[in-house]
Amino acid sequence: MSYFFQLVVSGIVVGSIYALSGLGFVLIYKSSRVLNIAHGQIIAAGAFITYALTVWVHIPVYISLPISMVITFFLAMSVERVFLRRLIGEPIISVIMVTIGLMSIIDGLIYLTPFGTENFSFPPFLPKAPIAFGGVSISWTQLVGVIITFTMIGGFSWFFKKSTVGISMRAVSDDQMAAMSIGISVPRVFGLAWATAGLSAAAAGSIIGNITGLNFDTLHAFGIIVFPVVILGGLDSILGAVVAGIIMGLIQQFASGYLDGNWGLNGTGEVMPYIILLVILLFKPHGLFGIHEIERV
Amino acid sequence: MSSNRWLATGNYFTSYKEEQRIFFTSLDKTAMCLLLLCLFAWPFFFDLDNKYMLVIDNILVAVIAVIGLNLVTGFAGLISIGHAAFVGIGAYTVASFARVLGDNHVLVTHAWPLMILLAGCSGAIFGAIVGLPALRLKHLYLAIATLSFQMIFQWTINFMNFFNQGQTISVGRVYWLTGEVSRSKHYMFWYYAILVILVILGFAVRNLLRTRYGRCLVAVRDNDRAADAMGMHPGFTKVYAFGLAGFLAGVAGALHAYLYRGVGIESFTLQQSINYLAMAIVGGLGTLPGSFLGPLAIKVLDLQVGNVSEWVGAHLTFTTNLATALRPLSFGLVIVLFLMFEPRGIANWWRILRSYVKLWPFRY
Repeated sequence: MSYFFQLVVSGIVVGSIYALSGLGFVLIYKSSRVLNIAHGQIIAAGAFITYALTVWVHIPVYISLPISMVITFFLAMSVERVFLRRLIGEPIISVIMVTIGLMSIIDGLIYLTPFGTENFSFPPFLPKAPIAFGGVSISWTQLVGVIITFTMIGGFSWFFKKSTVGISMRAVSDDQMAAMSIGISVPRVFGLAWATAGLSAAAAGSIIGNITGLNFDTLHAFGIIVFPVVILGGLDSILGAVVAGIIMGLIQQFASGYLDGNWGLNGTGEVMPYIILLVILLFKPHGLFGIHEIERV
Repeated sequence: MSSNRWLATGNYFTSYKEEQRIFFTSLDKTAMCLLLLCLFAWPFFFDLDNKYMLVIDNILVAVIAVIGLNLVTGFAGLISIGHAAFVGIGAYTVASFARVLGDNHVLVTHAWPLMILLAGCSGAIFGAIVGLPALRLKHLYLAIATLSFQMIFQWTINFMNFFNQGQTISVGRVYWLTGEVSRSKHYMFWYYAILVILVILGFAVRNLLRTRYGRCLVAVRDNDRAADAMGMHPGFTKVYAFGLAGFLAGVAGALHAYLYRGVGIESFTLQQSINYLAMAIVGGLGTLPGSFLGPLAIKVLDLQVGNVSEWVGAHLTFTTNLATALRPLSFGLVIVLFLMFEPRGIANWWRILRSYVKLWPFRY
């Protein structure tokens, strides 16, 4: 039974990171209807910036993380400004393909740095001994990661519910024309959406880096696993991203905990989300919390 | 209709039948024949290194795959981020025959045209299955569906013992009327084999696009509601587009397997899918000539990138992974720049040149 609870705990840890990555993705989709395929690369970039600041510039982690979040904030904003601003009004198919190109470009840029091929790990700054209660253990890094994640999700919820900028972002996602007519600058909101997505991506990347170590392939995979998460949650629902992230984390842990090694299966945790994704697309494409606005043709 | 379309100031078609002809003038037909003749005849006059022969064979295989991708993405307007997986389905069909029967079994070595056809059919089946969400969904979700198919495919190959866990599965040398195709003639033999298949498929697709089944792809892309009102079934049309793309990809995959005499996962990864997309975009989405120009341009670029990174790597010793960095960087840049500045691709340059010649000296 304690094995089960251990899986639940690690599922929630992984799932909360998925939730945070999915959050950034949903932000962009919600405001500008752009499917950001390069999200994993932004996550990776954020993680690497945090590492570079911590280890190469010798800034303590709790300061370098906010700095890296700010840097990624502006980085994502400039990506939107340079590549996507001029594509407003173009067919959605070419916008999606531009993000595919972006993914390739950022891949190339990261391969130019040592991060592309080598593995790094953050210097430990928390107690090494895991906290254990009743046969279930969780490491300090994981605990702090989960706390940061939920704080950020709470912060974002507040931001969208109460702050003027957040409300204007929701207005744009609801109806661009109406938002424009009451004086909201829609391109600025698009830029802000990308920027906040970059912010959350940097946080997610840094937490992943602290828990599992920095490996480009792993971080890269986080960007693609975001798709099953957001589809399960509904593409335009922030609550959906959080719930689906945790569900997906649990499913992955249970799959690799109970299926691997039996019936000659291996690495099922990696593939399970995608199988679920295909099934959801066939039967419930708007996900758990998405708006039922999909046209049937 | 004017006797010389190159000098005509407009088109003077009086029936739809005229507008749908493959060759508008005898000059077009002659040019095409000459091009084909050159393609078949040049190996008799030039002796090319095997390294470059492989590049040319590769381009031809990529052209077949990109025609498929262009059908689904360019003509039917559905993004497919899993095209390399469909190519892989074709290749692994051949590989699984080789694995079950032995890589020198008569079915693999003698009946290779049958194998290629079989690979195409299995590609078509998988394409249609992945396209099934198209019955209910629009492009955005389809992009994700194809992406997840790509991931499932990679997992299946990487973790199953039957597929040698992604390591190379060898495929035997094929036989032709004159006996076994020897090592020295291998690339030349496959050049001709692929070229013949490409010409057949190229004309088949060109013809398909003239029929109702091809034009309904374009109609559904442009406006699916109008297409529905005209009596087409947009959902089935999309599934059928995926099936067609899968068929062409499967054929390309089987050819790839025979050309390299082996199948490994590294040729069918997500990066390869993006390369195919880059080829389709650079060539020009929704144009048939683009499917030929795109792979040519990208493969030549690939060759140059390889040369540059080799040259730089020889001079700068600290950059060990330059080649891995330059490839995605240049491909990504090419995709983004073409989408931003020339969304209609290289095929559009030909159109511009043609209208320039046509209107000379009285251009606008």
